[in-house]
Amino acid sequence: MNAWRWALFGGLAAVALAAGLWVGRETLLPDTPRVGQSAGALVGIALPDVDGKSQAMTQWSGKVIVANFWATWCAPCREEMPMFVRLQREHADKGLQFVGIAVDDAGKVRQFAQEINLNYPALIGGYGAMELSKTLGNSLMALPFTVIVDRQGRIAHTQLGPLKEEQLTRIIGHLL
Amino acid sequence: MAAGPNLLPAEQAFRLSARVLDPSTLEVRYNIADGYYLYRDKLRMSVEPPPAASGAPLLPPGQVIEDAFFGKVQTYRGLVVVRVPLSGARPGTGLTLVADSQGCADVGVCYPPQSQRLALKVPAAGASPEPPVEAVPAGKSFFN
Repeated sequence: MNAWRWALFGGLAAVALAAGLWVGRETLLPDTPRVGQSAGALVGIALPDVDGKSQAMTQWSGKVIVANFWATWCAPCREEMPMFVRLQREHADKGLQFVGIAVDDAGKVRQFAQEINLNYPALIGGYGAMELSKTLGNSLMALPFTVIVDRQGRIAHTQLGPLKEEQLTRIIGHLL
Repeated sequence: MAAGPNLLPAEQAFRLSARVLDPSTLEVRYNIADGYYLYRDKLRMSVEPPPAASGAPLLPPGQVIEDAFFGKVQTYRGLVVVRVPLSGARPGTGLTLVADSQGCADVGVCYPPQSQRLALKVPAAGASPEPPVEAVPAGKSFFN
């Protein structure tokens, strides 16, 4: 092989390697729906509430949904929930719907819900909810994790860690 | 994702290692990364298979914090060394530690309770303890 053939071979090899790495990266990373994509994995499910009654997420179709994955064993989760209760009360008539998805058992969830006068549904997801949150971008599977869905059922925002009130108010203000 | 990019996976935030010091003593260590903490009352340790059995872990006192829902709770930061009394462990054989823990990061996220298993060796009679065995992270990150 002469010099230019070697150069061509080397160049093609480099391109192939880069492509392989790129493909590898795409396939190895979790499949995370991005903002603007369908929240079908979330809005298509049904989970039991604290009384064991199945609640389909589709009952809130057309509303702005703030789905908050939480647990009683997660102090930062509990700390932000009274703010959610207040915003639910203030914006319910504009079509805002908070939905709590607890990675927890019903007894503890009921107790905490009573303590803070929870005014939005508390669904019991168990550990399966952790897996669901992973498909929505919570690759560390930590809590709290919140997914905001617009009226068209698209993901508008995902967040691991607590939401600040002004940030949440701004996001839902754009969507309501 | 506000808290996402710099957070460690739980098994890296709370690095578990353990060794059997002698047939009646197991030593469990959690090396907790800066900015993370474990709950003392969520630590559970047991061994299998029978006849090996463990007694109540000797948990050192933690830092007391006031939790609005659970009241006073104790947390650990940095290095925690827990001794666990053993019975029925035969010298020179293997046993499995099952260690449950749960913790959080100061940035405001908590990890679900995790249960980890470590295969350990009981030193033969008169032999020194084996080096500590470290838990292998369950999920390897593509970036590490």
